[in-house]
Amino acid sequence: MTAALTIAAHHIRRVVRNPGLILLLLAIPLTFAIIEYAAFGRTVAKGTLPPATVLFLDEDDTLVSSALPQVFSGGPAKDFFELSQVQSKSEAVRLFKRGQAAALIVVPSGFQSAVLEGKRAELGFYPNPVQSIGPEIARSMLEMTALIGNGLYAKALEPIAQIRALVQAEREPTSDEVAAISRGFFEAGRRLSSLQGLSGLTVGVQRPGASAVKTGFGNDPGQFFAYVFPGLVVFGLLLIAQALAMRLMRDRLRGLQRRLVVTPVGPSAVILGGVFYLVAALFALLVFLGIIGAVVFRIQLRDPVSLVAIGAGFAIFASGLHLLSVSLARSDRGAGFVGSVIVLVLSLIGGSFVPAEQYPPFLRSLAVLVPNGAAQQGFIDVLVHKLPLAALGGRLAVVWSWGLAAMGLAVYFEQRRLRS
Amino acid sequence: MIEVSNLRKNFGDIEALKGVSFSVRAGEIYGLLGPNGAGKSTTIGVLCGLVVPDSGQASLDGIDIARRPVEARRVLGVVPQEVALYTEFTARDNLSFFGRLYGLGGSRLSEAVEQVLERVGLADRAREPIERFSGGMLRRLNIAAGLLHGPKAVLMDEPTVGLDPQSRASILELVRSIAAGGAAVVYTTHYLDEAERLCDRIGVIDRGSILAEGTLQELRDAAGAREIIALRGTFAAEVVTREMQKHPEFEVLKVTDGELLLTVQRAEQHVAALLAAASSLGTVREVAIRQPSLESLFIKLTGRELRE
Ligand SMILES: Nc1ncnc2c1ncn2[C@@H]1O[C@H](COP(=O)(O)OP(=O)(O)OP(=O)(O)O)[C@@H](O)[C@H]1O
Ligand SMILES: [Mg+2]
Repeated sequence: MTAALTIAAHHIRRVVRNPGLILLLLAIPLTFAIIEYAAFGRTVAKGTLPPATVLFLDEDDTLVSSALPQVFSGGPAKDFFELSQVQSKSEAVRLFKRGQAAALIVVPSGFQSAVLEGKRAELGFYPNPVQSIGPEIARSMLEMTALIGNGLYAKALEPIAQIRALVQAEREPTSDEVAAISRGFFEAGRRLSSLQGLSGLTVGVQRPGASAVKTGFGNDPGQFFAYVFPGLVVFGLLLIAQALAMRLMRDRLRGLQRRLVVTPVGPSAVILGGVFYLVAALFALLVFLGIIGAVVFRIQLRDPVSLVAIGAGFAIFASGLHLLSVSLARSDRGAGFVGSVIVLVLSLIGGSFVPAEQYPPFLRSLAVLVPNGAAQQGFIDVLVHKLPLAALGGRLAVVWSWGLAAMGLAVYFEQRRLRS
Repeated sequence: MIEVSNLRKNFGDIEALKGVSFSVRAGEIYGLLGPNGAGKSTTIGVLCGLVVPDSGQASLDGIDIARRPVEARRVLGVVPQEVALYTEFTARDNLSFFGRLYGLGGSRLSEAVEQVLERVGLADRAREPIERFSGGMLRRLNIAAGLLHGPKAVLMDEPTVGLDPQSRASILELVRSIAAGGAAVVYTTHYLDEAERLCDRIGVIDRGSILAEGTLQELRDAAGAREIIALRGTFAAEVVTREMQKHPEFEVLKVTDGELLLTVQRAEQHVAALLAAASSLGTVREVAIRQPSLESLFIKLTGRELRE
C-alpha cells in the first residue's frame, strides 16, 4: 500500500513537472463554456428561459421616438425581449426592484431633431442591477438595433424625408402618414442585410449605483453555467484521463513499468500506484474545475457531499476506462485512437455539448445510462434543480457501477499482462 | 548464487526457451551470448519474475523466484535492455525513487544514491535533468538504478547496445567492478568481443538452447585450435563443396555468394595451397586469417555468424 502510494505520488509529481497536454486539455471545458455562452446563452430565451422584459420610456414623444418601439420589437429582437412602455423612471425603478424587468430604454427629448439633423442622437440604456443575463441580452440587441438603425438612417432616407416634410409643413400628420413612416422604418430594417453607415446613433449605458445581490432564475449567469458547465467538465475530464493514462502507456513501451515490477514492490503495487495516480489526479482536476466554475462562472457549489459522490465515481470511471484501453492496446497510437473514439461516442450519447435535458425522450433516457451522461445530469440535478443526495440514487448507481466495472476490468487485464 | 535449471517457455508457436540451465557464482560474470531472438531477454525475464516459465526452476541466493518473488527481488538488481529512466527528473531524483522502491529511505537512501553516482561517474551531473545526458551517461545511470540496494545478483541485458567504443569500455569496467564487489552477474550480449573481454564464463545460446558453455579457454579448446580463413569474392556452394573435397585438411564452415569461411590448423602453412586452388572455387578478392575465437565456435555451433 505504501509502495503504491509512493508510485502514485511519483507519477503525480511527474505530471506537475511536465504538465504539457494536461494544461491544454484543462482549458477545453473553460473555452467551450465561454463559446457556448456567447453562442447559446443569448438564445436561451427561446428555450427554457423566459424572454427578458425591457421597459421603454419615451421622453421625446415625437414621430421618430414613437416609431422606435416598432423597430425594436419587430424582427428577430422580439424573440429576446418583450417591450413594455412606462411613463417615468420611477415606475421603471419600481419594476426593477420587483425583478420584473431587465432593462430600461430611454428616448431622451430632442432625439427626433438630433436624428433629423444628422447630429449625435443617444438612446439611454439602464440595465437592472440585480440581473445579469437579461440586461446583457437586451443591451446587445439594442446595440445591434442601433447599428441597424444607423444603417436604416442611411438607407431609409425616404421615411426621414417624409418626416422632415411634415415638420416643415407645420401640420399634424394623418394617421395614414404615421403608419407609412413607421412601416418605412420597419421594412427598411428588415431588408437591411449589411450593417453600414455608422453615424450618430449610440447607446449610452447607465449603471445606477453599486450593483445589488444578483437573483432570479435564468437571468443569472451562474444558472446558465450550472446548466452547461458540468457536461463540459465531464468531457474535459475524459480527455484528461486519456492523456494521463497515455503516460502510463508510454512508460510501459519504454520499459519503465517492467523496471518497477522487478523491484520488491511487485506488480500489484505498480498497478495500484497507477490507479491511485489517475483517480487522485482526475479528482483534483475536477475540484479545480469546480472552483473555476464557482469563481469565474459564478456557479453556486451547493451540496458538496453530493458533488463529491458523483465526482469521485466519475473519476474512477474515467481512470478505469482509459487504463483499460491502454492495457489492451499494443501501441500508443492504438490506445490513442481507441480512447478518442470512446470519448467521442460517450460524449455524444451523454450530451456533453448540449445538455441531455434538451434531447428527445428516448435519447434522454439513453443519455443518463452512460456514466458521463449520468454524472453530468447528476451535477445539474444538484446545481440547478437543487435535488438532495437521496434523490440522486439512480445517477450515482449508474456512475459508480460503470466506474467499478471499468476499473475492475482494467486491473484484471493489467495483472494478466504483467505476468506473461 | 544464480541457479537456472531446465527452463522452457513457449510464446504461442515460438519456442523461446527449450531447456536452459546454467549457474553463476558470487563474483562471477556469466555471459549469455547469442544472436537476436536467441532467448536472452526471455531468460532474464524468468530470472526477474516477469516471465513465468512453462517448466523449470530459477532461484537467486537459494530463493525460488516463482514461489517467493518478493524476497528474490530484494537480492536482485536488474539493468534492462532499454534505458528505463524518468526524463522529467534529475539523475539523483531518478535514483532516489528507485531506491525507495527497494525499501531505502532517509540517510541510507541518500548515501546509497551518492555512492552509486560516484561509482558510475555521474556525481558531478547529479542535479541535471537527464534529458541533457548523452547516450553513454544514460546507460551508466540505467545501470546505477539497478545497483542502488547492493544486490547479490545483477542481471544486465545488453547494456552497451548502440554505444561508441569509449562508452562501452567504461561500462565494461563498471561491470567488472560490480562482480569484484561480490555480485553474481548475468550479462547478455551479441557482441563477441564483449563476451571475450568481460566474462568469466560464457553460455552460447541460440534458438532457446544453450549450445556450449565454459570459460573462454574451454570454449576455444572446444572450437579446436583451428584458425579461420575467410575468403571474400564470388562463390557457388556446389562448386566449393566439390572442390574442397580435394583438400581434406580444410573444413568448410560456411559458404555464401560473397563469403567462404574455412577452418584449418596452422593456417599459414596451407594458405599457399588454398590460393593455388582458389581459381577453381570462384573469384577471390580478399583473403584473411582469423585467430581461433568464440566466433569460430559460434559459427560451428550455429552455422551462422554472430553479427546483427
Ligand atoms: N512476449 C512475447 N510474446 C511473444 N513472443 C515473444 C515474447 N517475448 C519474446 N518472444 C519471442 O521469443 C524469442 C526470444 O526472444 P528474446 O527477446 O528472448 O531474444 P533475445 O535473445 O533477447 O534477442 P535480442 O538480441 O533481439 O534482444 C523471439 O523469437 C521472440 O520473438
Ligand atoms: Mg533481448
